Amino acid sequence: MFYISVFFQYMAQYMKTKLQYRTDLLIEWLSDFMAQAVNLVFLLVVFGHTPLLHGWTRDEILFIYGFFLVPYAVFGAFFNLWDFNERYIVQGEMDRVLTRPVHSLFQIILERMELESLLGAIPGLIIMAYASVRLSLTFHWYDFFIFILLVIGGAFIYAGIFISLATISFFADARTSIMPMMYNISSYGRYPIDIYHRVIRYILTWVLPFAFVGVYPASYFLNKQEWYDYAFMTPVVGALFFAIAIMLWNAGVRRYRGTGS
Amino acid sequence: MNAIEVEELRKEFKVHKSRSGLVGAFRDLWTRRYMTVRAVDGISFTVKQGEMVGYIGENGAGKSTTIKMLTGILTPTSGRIIVNGMNPHKEREKFVRTIGVVFGQRSQLWWDIAVQESFRLLKKVYRVPDEQYARHMSEVIEMLEIGPLLDKPVRKLSLGQRMRCELAAALIHNPPLLFLDEPTIGLDVLVKLNIRQFLKQLNERYGTTILLTTHDMSDIEALCERVIMLDEGKIIYDGSLEQLKEKWGQGKRVAFTFAEGKDASILQELTAGLDVVWKKGEQSNVWVAHVPSGGVPEVVSRVAARYALQDIRIHEVSTEEIVRNIYEEGAVHG
Repeated sequence: MFYISVFFQYMAQYMKTKLQYRTDLLIEWLSDFMAQAVNLVFLLVVFGHTPLLHGWTRDEILFIYGFFLVPYAVFGAFFNLWDFNERYIVQGEMDRVLTRPVHSLFQIILERMELESLLGAIPGLIIMAYASVRLSLTFHWYDFFIFILLVIGGAFIYAGIFISLATISFFADARTSIMPMMYNISSYGRYPIDIYHRVIRYILTWVLPFAFVGVYPASYFLNKQEWYDYAFMTPVVGALFFAIAIMLWNAGVRRYRGTGS
Repeated sequence: MNAIEVEELRKEFKVHKSRSGLVGAFRDLWTRRYMTVRAVDGISFTVKQGEMVGYIGENGAGKSTTIKMLTGILTPTSGRIIVNGMNPHKEREKFVRTIGVVFGQRSQLWWDIAVQESFRLLKKVYRVPDEQYARHMSEVIEMLEIGPLLDKPVRKLSLGQRMRCELAAALIHNPPLLFLDEPTIGLDVLVKLNIRQFLKQLNERYGTTILLTTHDMSDIEALCERVIMLDEGKIIYDGSLEQLKEKWGQGKRVAFTFAEGKDASILQELTAGLDVVWKKGEQSNVWVAHVPSGGVPEVVSRVAARYALQDIRIHEVSTEEIVRNIYEEGAVHG
């Protein structure tokens, strides 16, 4: 309860800050939008040449892509950890965080949240709507709640992986360039999993489970029954990876050694 | 109850030793050599409630590391710490509600939002009831004279203004114990005086225990009856400032400006039997005599009788010099 009220307090302050820089906000959103448009064009070009990819139609793949954008937007809004090492370890901001009576990770999430990233979900929803009309998909009333659950599960998987990566900064001095690489790998999850080699499929399911952010949960809505088991494991995998990340984080904080000053 | 109890506290860092040159860099890729550095090396002390203690030492002596262990930021390698009856890093979130921390070189406030918005956020974070906040903070704001600054964003404040706001921010939850790490660094004299005045009032009014590190000895003289001096991770002095002055600051310095250059041996001969140490001054004809208390008239009369003088100046030994002397010799004897 306390954490929820702190969350809203931070959010209110965040809004006030952001409204001071209106043009920034607009440009940020436009550039995000452009990046997604490029991805979309790429997909369409690929399907200009082949109507089917391993038994998946163009519209199905579009739907997966649209779905993927939603948990990705949620992740982007709340888990901006890509400069954690630079900002909190090297510049020593972690010291300040650790002198406050709120869990350190929670504070950092609140300090770094970028709510405008949530707007990135809108193109995703539009693409999904477009694809479902073309596929004439039908939905039940409870699908809405399942959708929410799967989105949160997917966002937690992303968060779990990137939090775990951020904790490397507690253990190793050196800066790592692993974060950008992981962003690249993460995009594999938005294509049908069976187009990949066995090994990659295994990795994307069990090691870096990005498939749970895109293709697995989306296949529930596409009525691909052979993937249902995976689709419903999404929240479980999300909770598991997030829990592991929190444990790693707490262990990391104990190892925190601060900066020289 | 003591505010701080520290026993045999130790903090070691493993530091990666890099070899020199390109070849060295390649060898570092394969085998890394580590060196263990003891930043804090077995220190013990206690601070009673309501005390104001100056924690001093040169850069790298281990001051900040100690403060970070006392505030729960760093985990000690070994030893026992009890602050406000708690183990700082074990019960961190509960513990930090009982302390206030100001790092002079780091901001607690949010850069883009108005000062009072930062306060409001911290009030929430520390779960301070409205009524307590209103009563306590209005006093703090008045004492620090920051009322007019409250609706300005932090980025538009001068360093002195910001520092006073930082202090207020650290006191939102009215903590019984306050840690200040270099609170007056880079501030002008007026702001320093204002901050010292405020800390004194805070201590008298609320009995707030204050532990402060600083490079400015005048801070310590103005505020602290007790100093703990640190060198290479060890405590080399723990006691009252008065005693330190008595033991080390006895006597005076007399600077003689002679009409012409003089030799050390001649002067030493002149004051033989008086326990005087001569040191060369800034110019060739200036010599400074360190004279034990009571010996000044005798020295002056002997020198003046013998040589032509342009000027004589007599100085008390300042705390700053005492501290410098102690560091030059490495430890406090006796």
